[in-house]
Amino acid sequence: MNGKAQAEKGVNIGIGEHRMDSSLLTSIGLGSCVAVVIHDNRKNVGAVAHVMLPDSNGRTDRPGKFADTAIPTLYNLLIESGSNKRDLIAKIAGGSSMFKQFKGNLDIGQRNVEAVKEALAKVHVVLVAEDVGGTCGRSITYNPSESATVHVRRADGTCTDI
Amino acid sequence: MELNAKQLDAMRELGNIGASHAATSLSTMLMCQIDMTVPEAMVVDIADIGDYFGDEISALVVFEINGEINPGGYVVLHMPQASAIRLTNTMLGSTDENREFNEMDESALLEVGNIMVSQFLDATATLLGIVMLPSPPALAIDMAHAAFANVVSMVTGDINQIILFRTELTSTVNDIASTIVMLPYENTLGRILELLDKLVDLKE
Repeated sequence: MNGKAQAEKGVNIGIGEHRMDSSLLTSIGLGSCVAVVIHDNRKNVGAVAHVMLPDSNGRTDRPGKFADTAIPTLYNLLIESGSNKRDLIAKIAGGSSMFKQFKGNLDIGQRNVEAVKEALAKVHVVLVAEDVGGTCGRSITYNPSESATVHVRRADGTCTDI
Repeated sequence: MELNAKQLDAMRELGNIGASHAATSLSTMLMCQIDMTVPEAMVVDIADIGDYFGDEISALVVFEINGEINPGGYVVLHMPQASAIRLTNTMLGSTDENREFNEMDESALLEVGNIMVSQFLDATATLLGIVMLPSPPALAIDMAHAAFANVVSMVTGDINQIILFRTELTSTVNDIASTIVMLPYENTLGRILELLDKLVDLKE
């Protein structure tokens, strides 16, 4: 991808990835996964993780993948870069459930959402908005330099800003 | 999860046999010629799944692999929305392409998926000398990446790579494209490689 296309489309955060940035970030095709956005209201930067599973069970090789490791990672990235705790707010999207009938599923979407909320409470970052649950996929775009708004596009064609 | 060149090659061949049976069944159903690409067996990092499945609306028919290896993993039949509509149009005798999915489409897609994936699993299992059966199918009409990632989250816990095992089946006459993807659990993959090793020597 060349520089220009990248600037227009933003950087996509793939499954299990995380990133802090002040320019356009996207996360495409969230199903049971949850996109966690922590935004600094004063510095206009933010960090996003594409969380796939609730619990790392002690694994640390890919912190963005699990709720319990992703949130402290985003939080620390922001604090270490000079953000003030008081300025941080969180928004989440995703956590739907498409294949309830399979036993391997065990409602991963809902468990992801619960685990993300728990982890946010632990670092005392207020969750100010969410678009979670249901049965349909979502894509998000978020431009921290402009505002804290997270644009959510659902698979059924409806869009909301949270 | 490291596979050597011979193992990837053997997986490709296994996919080839499964997919050609699935292609034959699709060809019989649609009464037209079906072309298939040379199957790919790839080790893909979960972060890069977006390179293979985007957020375009697609139909995904998903099956759990049951039978001797239980739970074995999942098989997914993926079809972009336009292809899926053209497929059900061909089956149901309709020509309207600019429409939403209805209940008839959904049940037709489940049925096509069932026939194709049963053939796919049966052919691969026969080669391996074991029994693999598909569970009843589940259908999602959604962003391909979202639905596919949901299935991936059911098979990955400790691992960051998956074996993407896919073949494209296309019908030029009806302009239909589809992909079959197999997502085995890590231990299932180990068992499959063991069985393949008995058929052909896979050591490098």
